[in-house]
Amino acid sequence: MSLIADLRALLGDDRVLTEPVELHIYSKDASLMRGAPTCVALPDTAEEVAGVVRIAERHQTPIVARGSGTGLTAGASPINGGVVISLTRLDDIELDVDNRAAWVGAGVINLDLSVAAAPYGLYFAPDPSSQSACTIGGNIANNSGGAHCLAEGATTSHVLAVEVVLQGGETVVFGGLAPDPPGLDVKGVIVGSEGTLGIVTRALVRLLPLDPDVRTLLIDFPTLEGATTTVSEVVAAGLVPAALEIMDQNMMVAVENWLHGGFPTESAAVLLAEVVGEPEAVVAEAEVVSRIARANGAREVRLAASEAERAQLWLGRKSAFGAMAQVSPDYYLHDTVVPRHVLAETMTEVQAIADRHGLVTYNVFHAGDGNLHPLIPFDASEDGMLEKVHQAGQEMVEACLSRGGALSGEHGIGLEKRDLMPGSFSEIDLDAQARVKEAFDPAGLFNPAKILPEGSRCFDFGGVRREIPDGAWV
Amino acid sequence: MFRLRRCPTGDPGRGLGVSHPAAILQFETEIPDTPAGAIGLEPSGADDLAWILRYATEHNLPVDVRGGGSHHGFGTPDPSSLVVSMKGFDGVVEWNPDDLTVVVGAGTPVASLEAILAERSQTSVLPEVPGAATVGGVIAAGLSSLRRARLLGTRERVLEVSLVTGDGRMVTAGGRVVKNVTGYDIPRLTVGAFGSLGVITSVCLKVLPVPEASATILLDHPGQAAEANRPLAVLESNDRVEAFLWGTEPEVEAVAGRIGGSMRRGLDWPADPEGALRWSLRVPPALVDTAIGILPEKWRFLAVRGAGDLRLASDSRAGAGELRDWAESVGGSLVVVKAPPSALPDFDPWGRPPPGLELQRRLISQFDPARIINPGRLPAGL
Repeated sequence: MSLIADLRALLGDDRVLTEPVELHIYSKDASLMRGAPTCVALPDTAEEVAGVVRIAERHQTPIVARGSGTGLTAGASPINGGVVISLTRLDDIELDVDNRAAWVGAGVINLDLSVAAAPYGLYFAPDPSSQSACTIGGNIANNSGGAHCLAEGATTSHVLAVEVVLQGGETVVFGGLAPDPPGLDVKGVIVGSEGTLGIVTRALVRLLPLDPDVRTLLIDFPTLEGATTTVSEVVAAGLVPAALEIMDQNMMVAVENWLHGGFPTESAAVLLAEVVGEPEAVVAEAEVVSRIARANGAREVRLAASEAERAQLWLGRKSAFGAMAQVSPDYYLHDTVVPRHVLAETMTEVQAIADRHGLVTYNVFHAGDGNLHPLIPFDASEDGMLEKVHQAGQEMVEACLSRGGALSGEHGIGLEKRDLMPGSFSEIDLDAQARVKEAFDPAGLFNPAKILPEGSRCFDFGGVRREIPDGAWV
Repeated sequence: MFRLRRCPTGDPGRGLGVSHPAAILQFETEIPDTPAGAIGLEPSGADDLAWILRYATEHNLPVDVRGGGSHHGFGTPDPSSLVVSMKGFDGVVEWNPDDLTVVVGAGTPVASLEAILAERSQTSVLPEVPGAATVGGVIAAGLSSLRRARLLGTRERVLEVSLVTGDGRMVTAGGRVVKNVTGYDIPRLTVGAFGSLGVITSVCLKVLPVPEASATILLDHPGQAAEANRPLAVLESNDRVEAFLWGTEPEVEAVAGRIGGSMRRGLDWPADPEGALRWSLRVPPALVDTAIGILPEKWRFLAVRGAGDLRLASDSRAGAGELRDWAESVGGSLVVVKAPPSALPDFDPWGRPPPGLELQRRLISQFDPARIINPGRLPAGL
């Protein structure tokens, strides 16, 4: 039987999509790179996921897992064709309040988990800007961060166990409620592996108690440097606020255009700082942040007076990428991380690179972690524009890596940043990573062509070329 | 069809090249408790270590890697031919306090690292009462801080790891920044791996600032700690329950007042209980009370409430089988941390084999193909 006939026998006709318009929808994530799926499978259960994997293996077809498709590095783009497995129907939430944990299906929307846990005074800490759309499975695949991972860590710090479908359709649970399960921490390497090692169908995640008190400060600065220096000094002063986010003037204007949230668009930058904890703690810590900000030239320190105002400020921050739609048809976004003491000088250089290429940057980023997101708006239909943006992007990455930085802080490598990996790792280091992949997936069917550049394993498969679509930046 | 490309292997031990016993003796040194017939070696850097491990792989010689020797009782190690001391990997390599990261040699004692970090009011959040334990040893054995319910375990601290694989490759993974998703999380995989992916030579750790105020509070019962939102630790032992707080001065003052009980300034951490037999009981956090309730008579315990981590000591094994059966029935484990030789015949040090055993074996064989580093330490013959 054909691949599609086999899948239909397992899932029925309506849960295997093959119409051109359906395939088009599933051909890419939120990045610029499009693939061409052979078909899309919509399993309801982990058993069905295992069945789909076995069928795909029998037909030697690539398997690309997908959540909501909000990824920014083509992680869910089926670049070599194959079966896209959409996990959005695996959306059960099973709270375990006593253990402050929950078993959640890979398809559960990030924010839905916190909403479900709120009546019990609990929440799920990782909060990517796309949290109202992205899935927990996608968060696990990319080890997603978010504004509040400064104090609480990224997704991997909150995953206690994963149920994963491995090669051959074998389903294994790694980890659990009890700490330090004997043997290798296989769960630890599956988180962040972008669907290249297997498919996570369910996860046991840690929930945190809601904070008894919170102070959210919006601080405006006449210079971007004033804001970045404030961040470095707050961290150096021994404070670990819940969030330290910077938005520059360009970005503020774009956000304010539709939000009308009272962002000071005449300022060069704002710092959105949040401190949480015991009531006595937030008062003292907010005071320290304000003092450091004023010493660095802050004009106004505004304290969110109500939960509504606080929500409005965060809505502005988290909808920034969406606001770019009014600026240009396309944008390119980096996700590098630098050591915090070089944050200010790195930002200055990123700006200089953009100026040199006649490009503009919009900045909104997790300053407390040293995680930059310079965003370059452009129109891909303009002649030579793509190349120019690509060149500037390369230079920005080099500016960060040369200061001891990392290629990606929270978006993942996917296809988009794959060929930049040798800038971070030696041949031996990449070979070691390729060996991890080989141990899990010797046939190379799980999300092929992602994360590791061709030839990483020191074995080069001659004669077989992967297909990269036109316009892909690899 | 594929063609083989030569894998780069680095400098083979300062040009010694040919494997020869005479060459290995240049690293020979006296190491306490080296078994009869085994050679003690002290490499001074990663190149030397790579040379030694390649030699061991070629000749199929089991290597026992020694840090401080304080947690050397896990598993049922094979008799070793080579004992490698990590003393040569001692010291801070790079520390920029404002970044809240530190790069440190694996052979550095945790106590020394903490003393250095304390100069700038920082902590690595590794075990508080480390004895002679080294940074590499603590990571390899997967030992965690008593603050883990609040600050999480050692897995959360390792940002970058440099290691030498069994076949002598020098591999670095992760990075020296606090947030990083560049490639597979090999650093996390090395925590608790007992060197099976390679001997750790240095790591970059995420450190935390130590706040201005702290307190240790003696409680009448654990429930009192609920007055604190997320205390630094609540520890229970046979004779006391204590809450540990840190933060700004007004915060610690106020929270201590709400909790009640007798307070002393500073963090006065207890040591793990001592005994002929030492164990680690790992259970779901909500079952710590149940676990304490069913401990065999005369067993000593230190429980990290909220984390499900109980450190136990006993003079005999009586009751251990039942305790393990219960722990495994609730998804946990009872692990032997230390026992006199042949004190526990017919009692597997780890208990039930972990899941995905074949996959774990394949992973290890990619890094230590001849399986020479600390063989027998991990569960189920991994």
